[in-house]
Amino acid sequence: MKRLITPITEQDITDLRVGDMVLLSGKIYCGRDAVLPKICQLIEDEKLKEHDIDLEGSVIFHTAVSPAGVGPTSSNKLEIEGSFPILSKAGVKLHLGKGAIKKETIALLEDYNSVFAVIPPVTALLGENTISQRVAAFPELGMEAFYELEVKEYPVIIAAAHNESIY
Amino acid sequence: MDYDKNIVEKVSDTLVRAGSVFLPDKKEAYKRAIESEVNQQARWTLEMILKNAITAEKNCSPLCDDTGIPHLVLEVGPDTVVTGKIMQSIREGIRQGLRKLPGRPMAIKGNDFQRIDQSLGMDEDPGALEPAPVLIRNIEENVLRLHVLMFGGGPAIRGKTYRIFHKHNVENVLNEIISWATDATAMLGCTPCTLAVGVGRSHYEASSMMLQALVDGTYDKQSEMEKEITRKVNEAGAGPLGLGGTTTVLATFMKVGPQRASGVRVVCMRPCCCFEPRIATVEL
Repeated sequence: MKRLITPITEQDITDLRVGDMVLLSGKIYCGRDAVLPKICQLIEDEKLKEHDIDLEGSVIFHTAVSPAGVGPTSSNKLEIEGSFPILSKAGVKLHLGKGAIKKETIALLEDYNSVFAVIPPVTALLGENTISQRVAAFPELGMEAFYELEVKEYPVIIAAAHNESIY
Repeated sequence: MDYDKNIVEKVSDTLVRAGSVFLPDKKEAYKRAIESEVNQQARWTLEMILKNAITAEKNCSPLCDDTGIPHLVLEVGPDTVVTGKIMQSIREGIRQGLRKLPGRPMAIKGNDFQRIDQSLGMDEDPGALEPAPVLIRNIEENVLRLHVLMFGGGPAIRGKTYRIFHKHNVENVLNEIISWATDATAMLGCTPCTLAVGVGRSHYEASSMMLQALVDGTYDKQSEMEKEITRKVNEAGAGPLGLGGTTTVLATFMKVGPQRASGVRVVCMRPCCCFEPRIATVEL
């Protein structure tokens, strides 16, 4: 079992292999189809810092954040998978969700030394391993806002890395 | 509104159980799958899902953050009576149960246009979520019994209701179902599945049969058709979370209704996620 703590370094990613089971800790961001295109727009407009968001070495977990907890949504939704290039270029090292992603996306991740990981939808367990949460941007989106969580040992499996994948 | 408090409380508690507790036959199905799964990552995932279920049951907390849309099946015995007050009390029980679980706030606000494009956002009250229309059926037992099922969004994306030309051969229908399920489970992300299949004369009836299959189905006893679907989808090897392995499908629950005198069967296939059917039952 490997361990990753954010911010994730270039070497951390280089050492990862498809199929690695990893315990992930530290601060991570959460967003899904409603908010990720807005985050991409902030990057393009160079306004990310205005929201105190630092994507260097970061993780983006494709989930809503609600009183019911957190759990992965399908990463192959158009707006989510479509956000991978801009977010990776901006420093996101690990995209975390569920479901198969396209070969083109897997190849593109390698260009930026980023990886895709899946996480079991174990909301009750994740709730016990979530230390804190805050809205980082777009609070008007409610549970679909861009959140920052501090987490301890989230169980994840590397699904696509270095132009290889489990699919 | 003057509700029947006893019904409200029973329904509320039943919804919480549906959203947080695995039935015993499902726990056993997971234990069997863990024992037989040879893929290391897949086995780890199955263990996590079962551990999650034990934690959710202990905490009375949601199994999954997509707590789902309530779908209700009301069974009516020969001498029992369903009144408007009973139906309103069931609705109030659902409302209170969604607040207690807590359900994820998912009621979309606004008129027809705004509910489609989601431009007015969501109601913050989990209880504002409307259940799907209630399915009512007769039973021989002289009781009024309610089944509460919570339907998540992922299976709704990958499910399919469509016609199949049977050509007077069951294998043609089964092979098409297997083909749909193989494609769906590869993309779902929240495998292992329980496949729910309804066969009817219309889209409405096929969906209704699918819902009843989830009420009547059990992991302990599978028909030959159910076993064949499960076996063949598992041969494709998608596995838990798409990680590979032998456990893409835990079981198939299938209900075949009355059929039309024609060359067409209408089939509804829902690839229920690793927690579904999230179901609990109560006698009112």
